[in-house]
Amino acid sequence: MTTHAAGRQPVRGFRAPRLSLKYRAAIEGWLFVSPMLAGFVIFFVGPLVGVALYSLTKWNLLTQQSTFIGLANYADALTKNPDFWLVIRNTAIFAAGLVPLNMALALCLALALARPRFGAVFFRTVFFAPVVTSAVAWAIVWKFLLQGQGGAINELLATIGIAGPNWLREPNWAMAAVIVTRVLKMVGLNMILYIAALQAVPRDYEEAARLEGASSWQIFRMVTWPLLGPTTLVIMVITTIGSFKVFDHIYLMTGGGPENGTLVLAFYIYQQAFKFFDVGYASALAMIMFVMVFILTLLQLFLARRNSK
Amino acid sequence: MKVLIKALAATALSTASMAAVAHATDLRVTVWTGSAPQLAMFNSFAEGFKKTHPDVNIKFQTIPAADYTQKLTFQLAGGNVPDLGWIMEDAAPAFEQAGLLMNLTPTLKNTEGYDLSDLAKPAMGLWETNGEIYAIPFSTSPFMIYFNKTLFDKAGLKTPLQLAENGQWTMEKWRQDAKALKDKTGVWGFEFKDGEGYDSRILHAMMPPIRAYGGYAWKKDDCGFDKPKAVAAMTVLHDMVYKDKSIVPPGVQGDFFSGNAAMTINQISRVPNLADAKFDWGIAPLPSGPAGEAPVIGQAGFAVFKQGKHPQLAAEFLAYMTNKKNSEIMDKYFPPARKSVVDGKQFVEGNSAIKPAQMKYVAQAIASGRVLPSNVNIPQIRAALKPTMDAFWKPDSDPKKAMSAVCTAIGQFL
Repeated sequence: MTTHAAGRQPVRGFRAPRLSLKYRAAIEGWLFVSPMLAGFVIFFVGPLVGVALYSLTKWNLLTQQSTFIGLANYADALTKNPDFWLVIRNTAIFAAGLVPLNMALALCLALALARPRFGAVFFRTVFFAPVVTSAVAWAIVWKFLLQGQGGAINELLATIGIAGPNWLREPNWAMAAVIVTRVLKMVGLNMILYIAALQAVPRDYEEAARLEGASSWQIFRMVTWPLLGPTTLVIMVITTIGSFKVFDHIYLMTGGGPENGTLVLAFYIYQQAFKFFDVGYASALAMIMFVMVFILTLLQLFLARRNSK
Repeated sequence: MKVLIKALAATALSTASMAAVAHATDLRVTVWTGSAPQLAMFNSFAEGFKKTHPDVNIKFQTIPAADYTQKLTFQLAGGNVPDLGWIMEDAAPAFEQAGLLMNLTPTLKNTEGYDLSDLAKPAMGLWETNGEIYAIPFSTSPFMIYFNKTLFDKAGLKTPLQLAENGQWTMEKWRQDAKALKDKTGVWGFEFKDGEGYDSRILHAMMPPIRAYGGYAWKKDDCGFDKPKAVAAMTVLHDMVYKDKSIVPPGVQGDFFSGNAAMTINQISRVPNLADAKFDWGIAPLPSGPAGEAPVIGQAGFAVFKQGKHPQLAAEFLAYMTNKKNSEIMDKYFPPARKSVVDGKQFVEGNSAIKPAQMKYVAQAIASGRVLPSNVNIPQIRAALKPTMDAFWKPDSDPKKAMSAVCTAIGQFL
């Protein structure tokens, strides 16, 4: 049977494939990444280009009128609008408060909970739980706790003779309050990253250092901390970017107030686009935010590379 | 051949039935109420409209009030245009000026039995431009004082209703009673509308006392907040918060509806919130001030969007919904702008939740009240008001200086 079939089909001579192995591999590779690439182009590159183009227009969403005005939106933000620099200042204060506090607390928690000891898993869960808690629920609970009169925080302070401020109604305290509550909400994520990094540090190094007579602080400073370098960099970059983009927390807890004390860039962009319907101006602000975050990220990568050398 | 004919006939039949289905028209109406009884009432109008328009299906879509104007604007800009929608009073000038709303006058005039002259002129001010009607204010609802009678009794005080009957319900008395209630019962004497007087309801908190004192917010480009009468009114509010400690202060949660404040200010659409109240309550007019009685009205309009797929049909449904008969059904939640309905016996006596002795003040306030200030730049004005009013709401602030800062901030938008 086989002989019969083979007899009907002439045996083809060897022919080299049209495409070389290199090209075939490349095409296969592109086909494999194409779903992701399509998503990236449609949902990231597209909107980014769109925002860049909108930023050159005066576009009122309500009237649907759009006029090309070049770089006027940027000039307005950078030179004419006094609110813009206030917003940048607030954003910088928020980031400067949040990033170190978040990282320091995450590291302390990770150092305490990295090793398998009694209750470690329980406390890891406790500190990670706020990350997966609804931001709305978190903000509502904290708004109650931080009430000027009758709030749990101030009641607690009163027991030790301290008259607490009206947390969310005084500009400086409001900023401190949103930073701390944001840190408490998000610290669990960085803690997990640090725990993973700490667990990857070989125990031999620590034992060797201990045999050499190093103290716990010296071991941390000279052995553990340098090995955590790459993780610290990643955490620093994502936390900084996150702090520049903070919106929900501000929207829910203070609405940018009091007295614009917590009016940060992302919230300000939201206000321009969704409250005043000035999409062109909001897009220009979004581009400024993009450039700022991009430069900061590059700076952090550059500093990290220089330190590692 | 027979098989072929049968197949052709079946195809023709199914195509015809599909065409009939396709012929049915869907209208979408955006509203901000999520209240089940209110939505049931609107759905009953949709059913009623089917009697004359059997192929029209109407759906009411709830968008929460806090984001209503914003989400509606994005629907309009994104091409997902609803056929009809509620319009917030502060958004009305901007929507009208942007040319988004359909001129309803021809449809209303051509609708049999639709009495345009029955719509109260003062109530139509915001919704009419150059004599053409762009929306019908289905809700022309005055702000009333809600009081917790149980707490008034506990403090041994006459209720605002009793005082109003005797002509003694004044700003001064309101202030005295709020303090007495706080001192005697420990519960806050007064809470601003929905507890939002320092945030999203700043104008609702300021305007009743300012108007009772004879002041105003703005007239064209003239800011009135820093004028002596407005400053005097705002000084009273400031003193009540920080000297008397009788008004729920900023940063503290009160809530009249759960019994944590003895008085508040709101519209009758909030009555369902009191369905399970564990205290006796009532409503009374706003206290009168040096300038006499100055009722304040909050409005909401029904409009048809020009860019919708079926604007003419939508306008016909709007005319049906706001005719006299349906206005009488709506009036227990939303007092209409129809004189014949508000002046009628049914409006005062037919409300199952509010007694006639109280509803008569609602009717009076509709007749003589004025709407809240509006402006085409209201979102910008609100945003500028917020930080300057935050500075006002501090124990050591100087009301005169703070109010002049308010005028400086909002001046550019007037």
